[in-house]
Amino acid sequence: MTTEVSPPLPLPNELTSPFWDGAAQGQLVIQQCNACGHLQHAPEPICSACLSFDLGSTAVSGKGTVYTFCIPTQAFHPYFADKLPFVLAVVELDDQPGLKMITNIVDIDPDSVRVGDRVEVTFNPLGEGFMLPVFRPIAQ
Amino acid sequence: MSKKNRVAIVGVGYSDVSRGTGYTLDKLTAQASVAAMDDAGIKPVDIDGVVVHSFPHQFVSSTHTAAMLGIPDLAFYSGNVDGAAYSVAAMHAIAAIESGSAETVLTLRTVHKDGAAGGAAMLAGGARAGIPGNMQFSMPYGSFTGSHWAGMYMTRHMAKYGSTEEDFGSFAIAQRKFAVANPTESFFHEELTMEDYLNSRYIAKPLHLLDCDYPVDSSSALIFTTEERARDMKQKPVFFDSWANGTTKEADFSLVEEMTHSSPFMAADRMWSRTDLKPKDVHTAGLYDGFSFIAMQWLEALGFCEEGGSGAFVRSGATSATGSLPTNTDGGACNVGRRHGANFFIEVTRQLRGTAGDRALPNEPKVGVVSNAVGGFAACALLTAD
Repeated sequence: MTTEVSPPLPLPNELTSPFWDGAAQGQLVIQQCNACGHLQHAPEPICSACLSFDLGSTAVSGKGTVYTFCIPTQAFHPYFADKLPFVLAVVELDDQPGLKMITNIVDIDPDSVRVGDRVEVTFNPLGEGFMLPVFRPIAQ
Repeated sequence: MSKKNRVAIVGVGYSDVSRGTGYTLDKLTAQASVAAMDDAGIKPVDIDGVVVHSFPHQFVSSTHTAAMLGIPDLAFYSGNVDGAAYSVAAMHAIAAIESGSAETVLTLRTVHKDGAAGGAAMLAGGARAGIPGNMQFSMPYGSFTGSHWAGMYMTRHMAKYGSTEEDFGSFAIAQRKFAVANPTESFFHEELTMEDYLNSRYIAKPLHLLDCDYPVDSSSALIFTTEERARDMKQKPVFFDSWANGTTKEADFSLVEEMTHSSPFMAADRMWSRTDLKPKDVHTAGLYDGFSFIAMQWLEALGFCEEGGSGAFVRSGATSATGSLPTNTDGGACNVGRRHGANFFIEVTRQLRGTAGDRALPNEPKVGVVSNAVGGFAACALLTAD
């Protein structure tokens, strides 16, 4: 079978489109409260820190630390069948304590990844113009 | 200890359980309900509350369940899809009885085998137009099922505490021994070796296949009532001494503040604050094992060992039949199949009231603890028998 399998693509909405629009321009964009400056991911209709509905977004540093990860070896979606094994991770961003996102760690042997590794954002094409913010080791 | 409005478990029951019953969710629900009513020695007319927990995409209605069973009128009902699986149904029913809203409540958890694979099912089901909501921040990265966050919880524990795959394997091995002693309910009948565990394939390294509960079609039912009514019923009553929910500030399982210290710690702390009993008073445990690390987080959260120390605790034999805390004495959901928490309430009840048959624990337990879920939401309860 050589049928091209569609990737799991996002359906951007008012809350999520800044993230995807930013990624398409090579920036990691996170929701930020205009009232108190709190960053939150995933985006929500209200700021969980101050309850403001006045929410914007901002480009963050794109640097962070591997909080945890696993190495999927079974594909639960056909798009990943030829991508195993890969690194599914949670990265804590430098920009605010506890600000974390689900991501992939790339450009490294999966078995070499360690909790606490320093990483920086990079962008992989996902399909239909979407770019996926993923992370790679910061060169020492 | 004495409490007002003590709530008792008076009946337990299962549907037929297999990898493919061919039965509808309603039929499974009805089978389990009848089994629990038979166990309690009561009829539908004796029930005035029904609480069901189900998956959103496998919804089972509480009012329709009552109608199927010919229950004429409900004083309390609740059909839930949110939170900590069976324990949500249990907690709603306890609260309803404690408050006097209802007297005798049927609680249920019904699942079809493929129920937990909701994310992948959604895409397979034609979400070609794109992933809605916040799942668009996980699925494009290949995060689809519980196995994915489970593997990440295990890695975090290993990095923080130096635990090993062998630690998790020790739990799977210890639990399998109980399963072998429960041949009528367990799907697995041979003891495990560490080699078996380590050679079982990875799903999401470090998570092995043998860390995962076993997907089946099942419905589980328990009936709760007041202490006063329970005294007149067929079975020796088992009482809720204390119970609690807990959640994390962050609801996404992958993004909780600290994976090694998630909602079981909140629920356990709250539960202990509501009782005079202490961890040393507990004779048996039924700890949710959707993945083996979850039961181990509960051992730490409930204070049976120090935080990070569950691997050493299990390897010491403490959770075995002759240990200080026989744990998951039915074999757990990894072996008897996914009951989403209900099997622990059922098995601990059977142990405390003395109906566990050949599996009756030598320590004749009078106090047991049960738990459900991990991550964003969890619940636990202390059960006692006179």
